[in-house]
Amino acid sequence: MRKFVAILLCAFLTVTQVAAQNKIIKGKVTEDGKKPISNASVLVKGTTTATKTNEEGNFSITIPVNGKVLKFSSLNFEDQEVNIGSKTEINVVLVSTVSDLQQVIVTGYGTTKKATNTGSIATVKAADIENLPFSSVDKALQGKVAGLQSVASSGQPGASQAILIRGASSITASNSPLWVIDGVPVNAGDASRLQTTGNLLSTLNPNDIESISVLKDAASQSIYGSRAANGVIVVTTKKGKSGKTKFRFDTELGQSDVAYQNEKYKPLDANEYINITREGMVNAGYTAAQINSTVSSLGEGNGINYNWYDNIMRVGQQKQYNLSAEGGNDKTTFFLSGGHFAQEGTSLNSQLKRNNVNVRITNKATDKLTIGLNLNAGNVNQRAPLNGGAFGNPLLSTYFLLPTYSAFKPDGSYNYVLNGGLHNTIALAELDKRFLRQTSARGSLTGEYKILDNLKFRSVYGIDYNALEEDQYNNPLHGDGLASNGRAFAYYTRYFNYVWTNTLDLQQNITRNGDLSTSTQIGYEAQKSAGYFSSLQSQQFPPSLSLTYPASGASPTTASATISDYTFESQFASTNLNYKNRFVLSGSFRRDGSSRFSAKNRYGNFWALGATWNIDREEFMVNNTLFDQLKLRGSYGVNGNAGIGNYDAPALYGFGFNYNQLPGSGPTNVGDENLTWELNKPMNIGLDFSVLKNKVNVTIDYYIRKSENLLLSVPLSSTSGFGSATRNIGSMENKGVEISLNLIPVQTKDFRWDVDFNFANNKNKITSLPGHADILSGNFIIREGQSLNTFFLREWAGVDIATGDPQWYYTDKHQASSNIYPGANARILAGQALPKFFGSLTNALTYKGFNLSAQLYYNFGNQVFDTWRGYYLGSGFGATFNKVKRQLDAWRQPGDKTDVPKYVYNGNKNFNSGSTYNLNDGSFVRVRDIQLGYTLPKSYADKLKIGNANIYVRGTNLFTWVKDKNMPFDPEQGTGSASNLNVFIPKTVTVGLSLNF
Amino acid sequence: MKRITIKNMIVTTVLLLSLGSCEKSFLELQPPTSLTPEAALATEADLQVALRGAYAGLKSTALYGRSLMVIGDMMGDNTYQSVLNTNRYTAFNSYNYTVTDGDVSGLWTASYSVILRANNIINSTIAENANIQQIKGEAYAIRALAYYNLVRYFATPYTSDPTSLGVPIITVYQADLKPGRAKVSEVYALINKDLTQAYTLMTKFTNSSQFSKYAARALQAKVYLTMGDKTNAKTAALDVITNSGFTPLTVAGHAAYWAGVAPRTDKVETLLEISFDAVANNAFDALSYIYLQSGNYGDMLCSTDLYALFEAADGRKALYATGTRGGLASIFVNKYTSFTGDHSDTKVIRFSEMYLIAAEASYPSNIADALKYVNEVTSRRGATAIASSGSILFEDIINERRKELAFEGERYLDLQRLNRNVVRSKNYPAAALSIDFTNFRRIMPIPQGELDANPNIKTQQNPGWF
Repeated sequence: MRKFVAILLCAFLTVTQVAAQNKIIKGKVTEDGKKPISNASVLVKGTTTATKTNEEGNFSITIPVNGKVLKFSSLNFEDQEVNIGSKTEINVVLVSTVSDLQQVIVTGYGTTKKATNTGSIATVKAADIENLPFSSVDKALQGKVAGLQSVASSGQPGASQAILIRGASSITASNSPLWVIDGVPVNAGDASRLQTTGNLLSTLNPNDIESISVLKDAASQSIYGSRAANGVIVVTTKKGKSGKTKFRFDTELGQSDVAYQNEKYKPLDANEYINITREGMVNAGYTAAQINSTVSSLGEGNGINYNWYDNIMRVGQQKQYNLSAEGGNDKTTFFLSGGHFAQEGTSLNSQLKRNNVNVRITNKATDKLTIGLNLNAGNVNQRAPLNGGAFGNPLLSTYFLLPTYSAFKPDGSYNYVLNGGLHNTIALAELDKRFLRQTSARGSLTGEYKILDNLKFRSVYGIDYNALEEDQYNNPLHGDGLASNGRAFAYYTRYFNYVWTNTLDLQQNITRNGDLSTSTQIGYEAQKSAGYFSSLQSQQFPPSLSLTYPASGASPTTASATISDYTFESQFASTNLNYKNRFVLSGSFRRDGSSRFSAKNRYGNFWALGATWNIDREEFMVNNTLFDQLKLRGSYGVNGNAGIGNYDAPALYGFGFNYNQLPGSGPTNVGDENLTWELNKPMNIGLDFSVLKNKVNVTIDYYIRKSENLLLSVPLSSTSGFGSATRNIGSMENKGVEISLNLIPVQTKDFRWDVDFNFANNKNKITSLPGHADILSGNFIIREGQSLNTFFLREWAGVDIATGDPQWYYTDKHQASSNIYPGANARILAGQALPKFFGSLTNALTYKGFNLSAQLYYNFGNQVFDTWRGYYLGSGFGATFNKVKRQLDAWRQPGDKTDVPKYVYNGNKNFNSGSTYNLNDGSFVRVRDIQLGYTLPKSYADKLKIGNANIYVRGTNLFTWVKDKNMPFDPEQGTGSASNLNVFIPKTVTVGLSLNF
Repeated sequence: MKRITIKNMIVTTVLLLSLGSCEKSFLELQPPTSLTPEAALATEADLQVALRGAYAGLKSTALYGRSLMVIGDMMGDNTYQSVLNTNRYTAFNSYNYTVTDGDVSGLWTASYSVILRANNIINSTIAENANIQQIKGEAYAIRALAYYNLVRYFATPYTSDPTSLGVPIITVYQADLKPGRAKVSEVYALINKDLTQAYTLMTKFTNSSQFSKYAARALQAKVYLTMGDKTNAKTAALDVITNSGFTPLTVAGHAAYWAGVAPRTDKVETLLEISFDAVANNAFDALSYIYLQSGNYGDMLCSTDLYALFEAADGRKALYATGTRGGLASIFVNKYTSFTGDHSDTKVIRFSEMYLIAAEASYPSNIADALKYVNEVTSRRGATAIASSGSILFEDIINERRKELAFEGERYLDLQRLNRNVVRSKNYPAAALSIDFTNFRRIMPIPQGELDANPNIKTQQNPGWF
């Protein structure tokens, strides 16, 4: 401590001595040498003489006799002092403290400069995520960052989006990154309980975001310790800049339709269905009389040919409006914004509306104290249909309902009598209700106190509040409410999450000349997330269809409320040593405690080391003309994952196993006292270089991530009474290369061509499992040496040419095949759910006011499982449900060469059961974004008295190329890569206008 | 300057450190809706709650909620799937179910889940009193019932080969055990031991939705008959008939009996049923929903040959209606009448079956008793008395069983214990009209999930399955 104070004193004693005179100095204050900073304060140090810069950033100041140093300051910029000496003109470039991405990178608990960064951090700028037709920012990240895989499984507006950064690190525990918004780690993901999907981030307006940093390696992540195993996404919202108040207005209108459709997978029409049913009944051995009466009951000759698909699909409308204002003076700046976003899905009953506001105020209370408040609040109202096998799922009914049944009776009323007990989802779209209203508020109060010029204390208290109200009503006439004479649900879910973070930052020169310097941070953080859940249901409703809330039901059947909490308590420290910006060495340490583990395993220690060598700054590079930048980075560390249930560690008895309406109990959790953190050990080596006058910029990273002590759901023999138990066992590895390439092939006065390319491959491998034994779950196998989520299925051996029977291979060696569905031993490794490589290519052309850009997203090397194939392409299974066109290729006579077996009413020998027949190659390339814009020339804009005006037309997901021509649905089907009759992913065309004034 | 700096720094550091020593309880969070097993099973009242949990386990759709009842008739010749259907149990209708079948694995896992709940009660070390003995007695009976179902579906019938592989026997909870299969005879030995314990320990009768002393004895009569032990079967059945204080269902009360939805306290007919009420029921997955035509499903129909067995005056015939479904003449099943409000309960053991057991067990050793007991049933249903002899008498008793216990999940298991072929009416798919006793699908496979998780059972799959 004493030594430390001595160093501080040394730093203070180095005061410059300069002679002075009384004179006038003029100059200009800019941000980057061009962009003026207005309202910046210019002070003659040690005096009260001061002035401010005007709109153009210019100033003029009379220096008193004793004036020696000019101090320039402006909010959100670093202060700068300049010796007056004999100068008469002083032009100053201030360095932004906000995320000016060329220089400053927002990291864990602060910022770093690009030169001193030792980690692998990718940044996304506001312009890349603004005005996109996506309901949440996580969807906008697809293709933007090398190694970040963002996958949808549903086109429902407001649906959850899976994000994997550098592959999956865990088998059972969470694989989702930590989201940090303005310094506050927030709850993200799907918190809905009654709806099929929801997304907490859908209440955040992407237009309010200034920048996103994706922390990918140990050096950048580990300051987040146990929260960082799956990467960290740091979101910084927009801040105001001082000066005249500026307004910005953005609007966008558009339409969406299904992005990918395959004609082979459109449902049959009435004639096709009746004909194939006759064929199937003949093949099944029914008598002519039986066949005639059955097909007649299925609607033969009733004159109806109703197209459920066309009537359930629709063109969705899309619009958004955003308005913002920013401004302030040298003491206080503000940013205010509000937005409205509305989007309809591509099928009935699918929509989302969002309204949100955002406030950010920063005040420089004194020279030492800065305080800030930001608050971001939003509300979404979402309507999502059922999915999967639910009879009320409109998508299911498009494939299952017969074309011989219409949605309407001849008199125009709804038809409630349909095949197979299925529901008229067109009627239900009107008669039933399914709503999610989600209100979120995220905000933080920040205080920053400069104890010394190089020592500051910062305290952030953040809150993250999410409340979800979910309502469902099933009418008493038809559908899910019929059996209970109408029913209604009301679920309330609330998460209140608070975080208090305190940090102390020290910047210190170690050598007097500043060649060797250090910056150090220590901190403490406490977080609690409190969940509250109430659920109620009542049944027996009055006949009126307008009484849709549980209050109207006569018989309350569910009345439940409970809580679920977790807490984290953490101490952390980080430091870096910087030698002339040539070598930088960084280290961090964090100790975390989690409520999820038992007292003896509660705390974990996490750390990281990183180093950077800026080769371009070496003396031997002085005469180099090739490299504008050349930098080598490396890091290694240990961070953790506690992404399991809040109460998974103790053995538990639960309640609710009631009998005769009296309480009953039963075992609910195996528990494991020894449960502790899963460890993630990422190693990263990176190279950044720029050549040809910064026209070619390349970043290459190679990483190995080892996951150990996996929090694994180990299958138990079900004779124990349990299916599985969570244990710390097993290990896994992800290895990969990421390349980001930025080229400027042509740059003239009026024309510029930018190319951005990114590529990531990731190889996942399970390296050890308990007893080296395979773990099988559903269609997947977890096996040593194989990738996580490897499909393990019986192998399809084609249709028997002589009999039309389905055939499967009997052994995994392609030997004998048979028409008997083989046993468990015949399963083979059938490809992986996660892609082998993916990335994007963006070309942007700018000519005068015009810009044209196109982004291609590509994804290769995974398989997609068609979950419901057995029903619509099962050669007769589920005979009274409709089929798809591909079923018409069925075998009919000996010699027929086809991949679809003989159609037999009620099924042909288990052909419907899962096998490699259900798999399709998931490789695809998609035109993710194409945009043509025009910016009004400044001369016109000035005449109209506006700052800037831009109009554009944009297409999203306009073209999708799939490798496998039998791909039934969109190839993007979540990280589990299995379709589930969700709302189809849309392609969208929008036109937009952006005005600054 | 120097002083202020030091003061500031000390304040800041102290502040930071004091925040760092947040109170310990910050990380101590208790689960809000659960208890540790020790706390959940600490007192007599706790055991009573745990016992209800074991009964609730029997309500699973995989067990008495639906599957056990539907499959027990469908794998035989009583119920078939309409051409208009929601595709439930299709593989049992067409006898091509596989090792991955969800209903098969459901039966396996739900049964062992009930066994775990019963084991934890049976193994409680709380000092015993009459109440605890009653609770433990019921738990023994529940465990016996679960093993009885498992061994009948997943193993060769005792009457065919008692030394063949049965199912794993678990009487003490061990999460990581990977048990192999015990012999069929060993499983039956446990069932009988448990039922004897249950019979000895129980002294109370609550209502028909819980085991009582004589419900356990009645189950034992069934178990003996399943083992082909006619002497013990008859003794047990007569013990129930004579000593239980229960009375049989009469022709006058027949319709009202089946329309009733609440557990009974009057000791009429129902020795045990699994209770579903207005709050806790299986909704669309209720047993009644898959039979009744007034709902959205109504998939399962009565086979024509079964319906033909009922005489016009037989009160049981009123439980069936004729009509059209899928364009075909059909017979609808109205044995389970309610799927709104309080749902129909599932009958597990009825008093009338004791007469049928006594009759069958009396053949051929005591023909007079066989006739006497079988006609205790026919006389209470408005059917003509049986007067046959020899093997025809035996067939008549079996047919009477089929009529009386139709749609109660018994028929297929009767054919199993009698080692008979399944011969089905033309209602069924053409490829599945005759299923020989030797067909490997007559015995369910050990589910694939169990094979995958348990290396010791992997080599013990039933013959024909792989």
